[in-house]
Parts: sequence; C-alpha cells; structure tokens
Amino acid sequence: MSKDVIGSVMVIGGGIAGMQTALDLADSGYYVYLVEKGASIGGVMSQLDKTFPTNDCAM
Amino acid sequence: MADFEPKIVSFLCNWCSYGAADLAGVGRAQYPPNVRVIRIPCSGRMSPKFFLAALREGADAVWVSG
Amino acid sequence: MIDIQGDAGNFEVTINERPRYVDESKCIACGLCAEKCPKKVMDPYNANLVKRKAIYVEYDQAVPLKYAIDPTQCIKLTKDKCGNCAKVCPTGAIDYTMTAKETKLNVGSVVLATGFKPFDPSIFDTYQYTKFPNVVTSLEYERILSASGPTQGHLTRRSKDGGEPKKIAWFQCIGSRDVNRCENGHCSSVCCMYAIKEAVMSKEHNGDDLDCAIFFMDMRTPGKDFEEYYEKSKKLGVRFVRSRVHTINAIPETDDLEVRYVTEDGRIETEVFGMIVLSIGLQADPETVELAKKLGIELTASNFAATSAFNPVATSREGIFVCGAFQGPKDIPESIVDASAAAAAAGEAIASARNTLTKEAEVITQLDVGGERPKIGVFVCSCGTNIAGTVDVDAVAEYVKTLPYVEYVGNNLFSCSQDTQDKIAQTIKEQGLNRVVVAACTPKTHEGLFQETLLAAGLNKYLFEMTNIRNQDSWVHKDQPERATEKAKDLIRMSVAKVALFQPLDEAELQVNQTAMVLGGGLAGITTAQSLSRQGYKTHIIERDAKLGGQANRLYRTSTGENVAEKLGELISEVTQDENITVHLNTTLEGVEGFVGNFESTIASQGEETVFKHGVAVMATGAQPYTPTEYSYGKSDRIITSLEMDEKFMANDPILNTVNSAVFIQCVGSREPERPFCSRVCCTHSIDNALEIKRRNPLANVYILYRDIRTYGEREHLYREAREKGVIFIRYEVDNKPVVSVQGDKIMIKTIDHVLRRDIEIEADLLSLATAVLPYRDGKIAQFFKLPMNENGFFVERHAKLGPSEFATDGVFLCGMAHYPKPIDEAIGQAKAAASRAITLLARETIHTSGQVAHVDPLLCSSCGICVSVCPYSAPSFITEGRNIGKAQINPVLCKGCGLCVGSCRSGAIHHRGFDNDQIMSQIFAMNEA
Repeated sequence: MSKDVIGSVMVIGGGIAGMQTALDLADSGYYVYLVEKGASIGGVMSQLDKTFPTNDCAM
Repeated sequence: MADFEPKIVSFLCNWCSYGAADLAGVGRAQYPPNVRVIRIPCSGRMSPKFFLAALREGADAVWVSG
Repeated sequence: MIDIQGDAGNFEVTINERPRYVDESKCIACGLCAEKCPKKVMDPYNANLVKRKAIYVEYDQAVPLKYAIDPTQCIKLTKDKCGNCAKVCPTGAIDYTMTAKETKLNVGSVVLATGFKPFDPSIFDTYQYTKFPNVVTSLEYERILSASGPTQGHLTRRSKDGGEPKKIAWFQCIGSRDVNRCENGHCSSVCCMYAIKEAVMSKEHNGDDLDCAIFFMDMRTPGKDFEEYYEKSKKLGVRFVRSRVHTINAIPETDDLEVRYVTEDGRIETEVFGMIVLSIGLQADPETVELAKKLGIELTASNFAATSAFNPVATSREGIFVCGAFQGPKDIPESIVDASAAAAAAGEAIASARNTLTKEAEVITQLDVGGERPKIGVFVCSCGTNIAGTVDVDAVAEYVKTLPYVEYVGNNLFSCSQDTQDKIAQTIKEQGLNRVVVAACTPKTHEGLFQETLLAAGLNKYLFEMTNIRNQDSWVHKDQPERATEKAKDLIRMSVAKVALFQPLDEAELQVNQTAMVLGGGLAGITTAQSLSRQGYKTHIIERDAKLGGQANRLYRTSTGENVAEKLGELISEVTQDENITVHLNTTLEGVEGFVGNFESTIASQGEETVFKHGVAVMATGAQPYTPTEYSYGKSDRIITSLEMDEKFMANDPILNTVNSAVFIQCVGSREPERPFCSRVCCTHSIDNALEIKRRNPLANVYILYRDIRTYGEREHLYREAREKGVIFIRYEVDNKPVVSVQGDKIMIKTIDHVLRRDIEIEADLLSLATAVLPYRDGKIAQFFKLPMNENGFFVERHAKLGPSEFATDGVFLCGMAHYPKPIDEAIGQAKAAASRAITLLARETIHTSGQVAHVDPLLCSSCGICVSVCPYSAPSFITEGRNIGKAQINPVLCKGCGLCVGSCRSGAIHHRGFDNDQIMSQIFAMNEA
C-alpha cells in the first residue's frame, strides 16, 4: 500500500479549525490543499468581537 | 494657541497598534499629518531614553501604544 | 468540493473553483473598484446589518486581501452594463470572462472542517425576530459590539431611533435543547459563555447603569476558567434569570420589547427591554450534511459527524477526518485542539509518504557586506495612484537623493509586482547596494516579500527597512497632499538613518533531537506516544505508577457507550509492543537541563538514575479524584464516588442487585469557594451511571440532585433519555445543600424540591457523589520546564484560545487533564493535538532563530537579573561557568525579540539586533532634520 500513498492532504473549510489543521500538516511535511467556498479564509471567528478571557480582538 | 498643532511621536507595537494604524488607512480614516510613527517590536521595548530623546528633539507629545 | 473517489491514502477529489472575476496576481486591494461600484448588496460578514458593494473584500483584514465580484449581483455580469470597476482598476485586474474551473486533485487524506450554520430564529413566531428591529441574534450583536462593525462598536438599537438601550435581555437556548419547536436536541455548548461575554462587554461599552439580564435553563460554563468568569459577571451586576420566556411583545411607538416570564418561585413577572439578543445555537450545515451522505460518512442524531470517543477525529470512512464544529458543537479552543488532532490523524494515515510532495526553498549565498560603507538604495512606490495620487513621489525621490549614504533612488509603479521584484534585485546587484529602503505600503504585509528580493540579490535580509507611506500617509491625509509629501520625506529620512546602522544578522541553526519525552502514562500520554510513533518518532513514556492507563483504568464506559477497559487494553498492548516507544514504569522525573530541541532529562526508578536526551516534552500528568469530607462519605459502604460506582459496574458487584433507590449528588467539591472551577465531566458521568442503574433495574427510583446540568454538546441527548426513562432531577441551591445521614443499610437524603418548594426526604440504597477532578499541582515538574499553573493548579497553556495544547516555553506541550478536567474523547483529541504540535517542531529537524534578537554585552552587565525575571519566554539566564560567570546571557533560540529585557536593562548592556537603541535613536534624531 505504501507505494501508492500520496503525501498530500485536502482540508475542506478555511475557518479556525481548517486553518489550524492546514498549518500543522504543512509544518509536518505534507502538502496541503485548503479549500474554502468563500472569497477569504477566517470563518465565523473573524466576525466575532472580543474573545474570552483576554478580551483579545477575535480578528 | 488656537492654531497650535502639537508634534507627536508615536511608538507603536508591531503586533497590534501598528497594524491598527495600517487599518485606519485601509478604512481611509483621515487625521492630521502631525504624527511620526516609529515601529517597535513590542511596547515592552520602550525605554525612558526614547521619551526623553523625542521630547528633546522638539516633540510636544510622545504616544506609546501596544 | 464536489466528490471524493478512491480509498484512504489515495483519494481523487473533485473541486469546483468559482471565479473571482478579479486577477489575484494583479489586484492590489486599493479599493477604487468598490468605491465606484454602483450596486449595493447585503453584507453577510456584518450579519446583513449593512450593505456592501457587489465587488468586495469580506473585511479589511481578509486573507487573501483581494477583491472578488459577486456574480449574482454585479450589473456587468448579470446585465452586461456598467463595467465601472474595470475602467477604474489601475492594474487591469478585472476580468469578466473568468469561468468556474473543475479540478481533480489526488490526496492521501481528507479533513472536513466545514463548521456549522448559525440557527435561524425567524421560524419562531413568538419572538418576531424578523418583525421587531430590536430583537437581534447573538451573531448580529457581535457585529454591533465590534469596532469594525456597522456601528463602529457603539452599542445602539436597530430601531430608527438608534438610541442606546438601557436594558438588554439575552434569551438562551434559541435553536438548542429544543425538540418541540425545532429539531436541535443538542446543546450548542458555546452560547452560555458568549452571552456572559456579550453582557460583560456591553456593560464595559455603555457603563454600569446598563441592565443586562440573561434568561437561561442551566448555565453551562464547564470550560477552563469559565465558571470563574460566570461568578465574576454576577459581581459586575449581570442578572441571571432561570426562566424560558415564551413570547416577546412590542410596545407601540417605542420599539421597546415587553416580556412576561415565570420566576423560579412561581411568580409571573413583566419586564420591558430596549433590546433582546437571541442566543442562537450551532447546527450542522445542511450543505455539509448532504455532502457527508454522498460520501458515505455516518452522522449523529443531530447530524454532526459520528466519531468514536477513542478516535474522535476519524469519520466512519477511512482516511477522511473531521474537526471543528462539524465534529460537534464546540468553542474555539476545542476546535483548535480538534484541528491539530485531525492533522495528526491525517498525517498518521499517510506517514509513509511524508516529505514526498513538499518543496525545499532554494538558498542563495550571501555577499559579505559587513564593514563596508553603507550604500543605500531607496525605492519609492507609487502604488498606482494610491500613493502618487496624494504624495508627490517625484519630489520625494529627488529629496531622498540628497540624504547621506543614499546612492540610488528609484520609483516603481507597483513595487510588489513580480517584474519589479526582479528589477529591484537586479538594481541591487548592478549598483552594488548594501542597504535597501522600500517606501510603499506596510511592512506588516510586504516586509517578507522584499526581504526575499534582498535574498535573491545575495544580500542579508536584515539590511532592509520599509517606510509606510501608504497606509499611514497617503491614505490618511488625502486632502493634504503637500503635508503628506513632507511626511513621506520625514519618514523616509528616518528609515534611511536607521538602515545605515543595520548590520547583517545571523540566524543561528540548531539541531532538534528527534526523540520525545511524554510525562504521564495515562490515556492522554499513551495516545500522544502512539501518534508520535506512527509518524516515526521515538518516544519515552515516564509513568510514576506500576501500570499504564491512569484514571481510565477506573472508568466503565464512555458517554457514547464504549467499553473503556477493552479499548484501553488494546491501546496499552499496542504501545507496549511498539518499537518506537520505551515505557518507564515506577519512574519519576528528577531533573531537566537544556531547552527546545535539546533537552536532557534525568529520570529515577527504584533509586537508579538515567539520563536521556530529547527534543520535545509533553506534559500528560493527569489529575486525581477529590476525596469527599462531606455528605457522610466514609460512614457507609453505600456512599460512594462516581469512580467507585464505575468499579462496581465493572466488577458486577452484588450490591447493585439490591439497589431499588439510588441518589446522585452533583458538584461535590467543585464550584465551591476553595475550588471554584466546574469539573466538566461529572454531570454526564452521573447521568450515564443513573441510566445504567435503570438498565439493570428499570423499576429503581433514581434521583440526581444538581445545581446546573451541564451535558454540553450531544451529551444533552443522554440527559433527555434519562428524563424519559424516569430519572428524577432535583435542583438544589448552593447555600441549601442536601443533608445526608446513615441509618443502617439505608441512606437518608434531605433536600428541597425546587418545583414544589417543599422539604423532601429520599431513602436510598446507594448514594453516588460526583466528586471534583483535582490537579496534582506538581511544582517540581513546573519548575523544571518553567511552566505556569493557574490558581486551581492546572497548567496554563500558551494561549487560552489559540494555543491550548502547548506552553509558552518552546518545545513543551500539554494534553489531558493536566490542562483541565475532560472526558475521554477530549483527552484523546488533545493528546493527538499535542503530538501534532510536537511534530511540527520535530519535522523541522533544525531550528532557525530570528536574527532580530536580544544580546547581552557581558562587559556592561551588572548581573542584576532583571532580564531573567521579566522575560516571558525564559530566554535570559545567568552564565554558570567561565570568564563571565554570573553575567546574563540570552538564548537566541528562545528569544522572541520583544525587547522587554532591552527596555528594562539598567546598565544598557542588552543590544536588540534590528531595533537597537542607536537605531531607534537615529530615527528620533532624523525626525527634525529637514
């Protein structure tokens, strides 16, 4: 099987989870395709105001 | 004093306020051109010497943001 | 994504790339197109509260920061009229002829991170969300609070008066925990916390006089530091009303909203609010559900991806993984944990093909320019008309030629375009420049790009400074071109003065030892070790007990009904036989030297010490159950803890056959002044055990005495099942706790029935206490790695939201209950996440430090130790041997270049490369030199 294994991963969704997965995989030696249906990545988190507990701006 | 315009030196943290100043531009906010920004890696980088030097160089105000 | 064919390790995925109608390589995001676009459309980023144009970026910080056209709205694309954007675009990026592209890609694994869909409350006619302007969803409310939102962060009403509300109410569980009016039986997990946060923020915005009331069923704050935040919000004056409001009525003329509700003691109250926020839940996105069905991925009762507690990121289809809110409703830190876990799982599945498709960057030899007289090249960018439209770039260029050490000045229309990059590199070489200034947009987005250009020209990338004459000049002084031009001259003069003092900086290279140490052999620790091993890394597990498995050895079943002993046994035997994993039982950690990539640890077993080297360390030290002193624990063998009940189930203890009445008391030792945190696992655990009692004896009377039932996510289904099966839930107040007495074989429990408001006494054959989960508070280990602990004794992660599975100390990672109490699925998820984070470091094999770090001059250092104490990253330390013994030194590998130590050093002994005192001073001095 190992002969046919492809060293790339497709991540569907460019929200906070998809971005983190993509970063981890890319840094671990895999080629990553990040697929997002919108015009930019960031997902719902980019819409939030501040976040608990540090009151950091979600952006 | 009515038309006095202060000369302001601002030390902005690279990770927050400097980015915010960039975004003010993206949003085309308009403000007087009397501020000179010096980018620093973190507001923790500020040293009392920078305040004194800026004031000695004629700044009316020093603004540190981070 | 349209379809996935093939099998794990070798999928063929078909994706459909929709056209942007804007050439990304040409768009410079100047925004002229949107300015001239006549078509206004709803702005979904701002929850449709305002309008944007048909050509848009979603928000100012969008990545990529490139415009796109909405083809359903654009007048050119729908009616072939207008075409304004193409006319005004300075770079010719608009292309109306683009079409959708279908592409097939071959990949080894697939990760679904498709998120959730916010619940749409317009189907609830009693709340009149679509009709009353001041009834808003929580997502709309986030935009209203946001400084980048439609009101610039001013908290105002949506009705025409636009006034500031005096009273705001939050309604919880809108589209969650509701199988009557919608089909979302699950708890959305996040709404209680975000409602508290919004209420606290609102008070911060509009002052303490603002009345904030949260109407809820159970307050669910079972996450790390959540309960403390809940208590703090009460002190800040946020009101919590345990009631579900049925109807909202508008008061004519005022757009105020009247609600009637029943209080806990049965009174009917009427209140008027200026604004009502509907705390909408998270539900599976129908598009994803459809896709999942097509791909043959099993779903749960609430249409999230079905997973096993022991493999929480694997879907039912091999090779396809899941993370984030499609795995189940969850908050940001849990999504981040999941995401890293999915990365680990997706990587494990194709580990044999690692590094086969990634590319290595080409390295160009650097010229040695140290000691040369500065020869500065300045490139002034016009950015189309973005800069040149306001700033007189020719005048600026002429002026810059007069500055000291400036040997070359050029002007570019678009400095960032590829051909200009090549031209700059060529100019550097031809002119023999050894310092470069680019006056253009902002270093935040373009510094890296120009540094690459320097590298391509054979220059050290730190011999570069960027001057911001667009974002912080031409764009913000549009009406004052002359003064903007003067400002540009000043800023460039400051940059030139600074860059002249720059020296080439080295990025030290350091080998990363490819071995890992996992501290703790519980479920989390062994899962981390297994994941590391599967990707080829040798791992040592250090366990102080005589066997692996930790607290999981005492657990009966997971909330999803899986047998723990069976799965744990499989895992332990796999790990024990794994050639990459060395298990050290009865072993303690006695000392740690070194830092990221190069740790050297001393371990001791039966008095014998061993030293080994490792590149990373994972803290999986776990937690322990609280031993109760309350509720007559210890006075009868029929008063037991949750874990003791699990042990009885596993052993089929005959006592279970005599149980006709069982009582569970919740929050034993948790949510108390001395232990303010919620232990997260106990509500689900007790309900699961209550159901097991009912399974063994359906006629048994089972009571759960609780404060709030916190069956977050799909655990809520268990809570509903328990009520359906006849488990009786009685709420008690913290200042009026149940009273337990032992009378022979019987346990008597007195409490107050919260519905009847009457004292009741329950006779029980068995009393189970849901005891708190306590951290070990191992100060010695914390000291070894300089790891912080919070007041409750749990380790503090790098970032509560974005770095939950790692420490601020580089090379040290965190998982399991040492982080916070958590059930098996979450512990395993975090264990895989810690492995994934560790692998991102191990995979680099070498660490490159930044050149812009702090450096101590030992001749000036007075050994005061301020730098050692202020650094958040433990980079400075005292030299312990040699000529400079006692002086400070800074480890460039750990230094993040913040400069805190430099600013704090009284002796001026610390130099900050790239931001040194003389360099910043030169900017200050150059400010006035015109």
